[in-house]
Amino acid sequence: MNDGALSFDRVTVRYGDRVALRDVSMRAPPGEVVALAGPNGSGKSTLLRASVGLEPHEDGAIDLGGERLQGLSLRARARRVAWMPQEEPPGDNLLVPDYVRYGRYPHLAAFVPPTPRDGVAVENALRLSGADDLRDRYLWELSGGERQRVRFARVLAQEAPIVLLDEPTAHLDIGHQLDLLERVRSIAHEHRTAVVVALHDLNLAARFADRIVVLHRGRVAADGVPRAILSPRLLSDVWGIASELRYDAQSRLPYLIPRIADVPPTAPSPGGPVRPRVHVLAGGGSGVELIRRLVDSDYSVSAGALPLFDSDCALTEELRIPTAVEVPFAPISAETRSRVRAFLEESEAVVVGAFPVGPTNLANLEELRGFARPGTVLLLAQAGPGPWDFTGGRATEIRSELLRRGATEIRTVDQVLAELASRLPRG
Amino acid sequence: MAPKAGGGRADAGPAPGGRRTLSLGAAVALLVAGLVLLVVLSTSIGPEPLPWEATLAIVLHQLSGGRLAPTPCPGVAANQCTIWVEIVWDARLPDLILAVVVGAALGLSGAGLQGVFRNPLADPYLLGLSAGAALGASAVYTFGLDPAGRAFVLPAFAFVGGLVPGSIIYLAARSGRSSPQTLLLTGVALNAIAAAILATFLLYNPVANLSVNFWLLGGLEYASWSNEGLVIPLVLVIGLVLVLRAQEINLLQLGPDVAQSLGSDPRRLTRQVVLLTTVVTAAAVAFAGIIGFVGLVSPHVVRRLVGVDYRRVIALSALVGGGFLVIAWDIAQVVIPSVVIPVGIPTAFFGAIFFLYLLYRRAGRTPRGGPV
Repeated sequence: MNDGALSFDRVTVRYGDRVALRDVSMRAPPGEVVALAGPNGSGKSTLLRASVGLEPHEDGAIDLGGERLQGLSLRARARRVAWMPQEEPPGDNLLVPDYVRYGRYPHLAAFVPPTPRDGVAVENALRLSGADDLRDRYLWELSGGERQRVRFARVLAQEAPIVLLDEPTAHLDIGHQLDLLERVRSIAHEHRTAVVVALHDLNLAARFADRIVVLHRGRVAADGVPRAILSPRLLSDVWGIASELRYDAQSRLPYLIPRIADVPPTAPSPGGPVRPRVHVLAGGGSGVELIRRLVDSDYSVSAGALPLFDSDCALTEELRIPTAVEVPFAPISAETRSRVRAFLEESEAVVVGAFPVGPTNLANLEELRGFARPGTVLLLAQAGPGPWDFTGGRATEIRSELLRRGATEIRTVDQVLAELASRLPRG
Repeated sequence: MAPKAGGGRADAGPAPGGRRTLSLGAAVALLVAGLVLLVVLSTSIGPEPLPWEATLAIVLHQLSGGRLAPTPCPGVAANQCTIWVEIVWDARLPDLILAVVVGAALGLSGAGLQGVFRNPLADPYLLGLSAGAALGASAVYTFGLDPAGRAFVLPAFAFVGGLVPGSIIYLAARSGRSSPQTLLLTGVALNAIAAAILATFLLYNPVANLSVNFWLLGGLEYASWSNEGLVIPLVLVIGLVLVLRAQEINLLQLGPDVAQSLGSDPRRLTRQVVLLTTVVTAAAVAFAGIIGFVGLVSPHVVRRLVGVDYRRVIALSALVGGGFLVIAWDIAQVVIPSVVIPVGIPTAFFGAIFFLYLLYRRAGRTPRGGPV
């Protein structure tokens, strides 16, 4: 039965004494992009090479479209599986369509000139790979990104139901990476091609692959949809890297952010200069730039109270800034208020952003009014321009009172930093 | 406009790459016409120079059985004309046709070897194939193995002799040691070994020494129509087989792994091509001694003319190789007045200069650059 799938059943490949693949079972069905991820030397390339018969395997079985690899002639294999290696000799002097036409070799009958069918396949391949505009060029003239598209076209011209790509994005900039992988994905889905693509970037794999197979020291360490297998645990087990799992707000796809060392950035550097404490009252995104700039300028920042999932809150979580967090759309609880009070008492300066004040977050301003430590620098963002007070005038009232008590009104983040620099001596 | 399916860029014209290429048909027609003209005109060159109008007329006269150019040498005494006809038709033309065939054999070999070893400096002489074949053939002279002087014995021994370096180079390439440097140094070593044994052979039988020495340097003087009856079909058949394998040689330029993934068997291909080139090189060496650099130079000239498709490179290298050797023959006739030097001397002189040019031009540019 030719179902067009690539399947490995308990395959072992050895290079001399070294085991390159051990007991690997996996399957790439038609219409799916399977990403092969893993650190360098984990066996990704070996798996792909074994699939085209370039590495003999000792145990297990490799099937191409339901038939044993070893039972197929080289030409029959080439009609079932196309392979794009990481590196290829430059092939300097070829015109692009001549190079792409080499992909038709397994379909050519001996001593018979190519048929119109071969020409159509080459045309389709040039179009699908985005190499259409390169048809008048020589290989040696191409940039890295163009070259990769042309190599991809050569693989597509083979019209094999299984396509294997070994690190196709390795030398590409981010734009070319995304373009190439987007094409790979749509070809797999629209042409019912089984695609296996080796990628060392797990996040890129999660974004483009329907399934990810993670190899570690020649074994399958994980196999599943990106959402199911991406975890800090996986990254630390396989790559030895600490990371955090996040979700992209737009695509809802998971991604991992590597951490170089697990130290909270706000911890005082021992022996370094004392970092002035600044508390930020913001919300709804008004504090994003402010908080970043303060952290960059080496202030010890705290924030809150902020509702969970607020964009300011996401930032403070990312930067590990101590934050008083409140449940969204609920009034600030007594417990949170006491955290805010504690932050205010420890701070040498308080900066209030331009955010809308309603019944749920009015307590922030109330805490600020009740807090009357002399010597604390108090900076208030200019109100407005649109309506901001949704408390029937109580917020405006507090604001005026704070200004009367010596708070400074500021307009820009630069002003905040200048004000703080002049009024909070370091030492 | 729908682009042509397959067939290469026959009508490429000036490409954006900046290189003009000829169509295969035009290139073949041009080269064949040039080669015929070159051969016919060359019959006027030699220790006894003849007017080229006369030699042209003699060739036409002989070819047409007297119907064309009924008086081939007007204004010349009849007995003198008979001598001229003998010089042109029986002495020089067989030599020149052997030059074309041997040059074609070496051109084919060079193109095939450069293709399968993906090495622009491959050449049957530089890799030691010619020396091995010469060793095999000289065994026949030295030990008097063929008293009857049969035409096929010499090439057969040459072939056996050529198989030894051929196998060594094939094995070196298969084990991944096929960098240009390694292959060339292997050739240097094989040439040295063959030279050592050959010197011993020559001292073993000093009587054979003088004629063997002359033959080794590339003597076409042993040409006879019976020898050519053997070597011409051989070169044609092997040339055809190589051209039919050329598409696989093209694939091999993408690397053996990619070639295999496209359904070709690179090892089998390399074995076959090394075997076939050993056969034609052996035939060339058996009849014309060691003639170096024709196999190196011809494919480079062809790539300049028609690009890198090995179907063209192999076919046209045969023609260019033939032409190269005819020109070398012409030079060999006139370098020393009234003395004909072996044709291997001018080919070595000019071929080695070209080799140095390739070596240093390659060293001076980036590996990605233009044509090799």
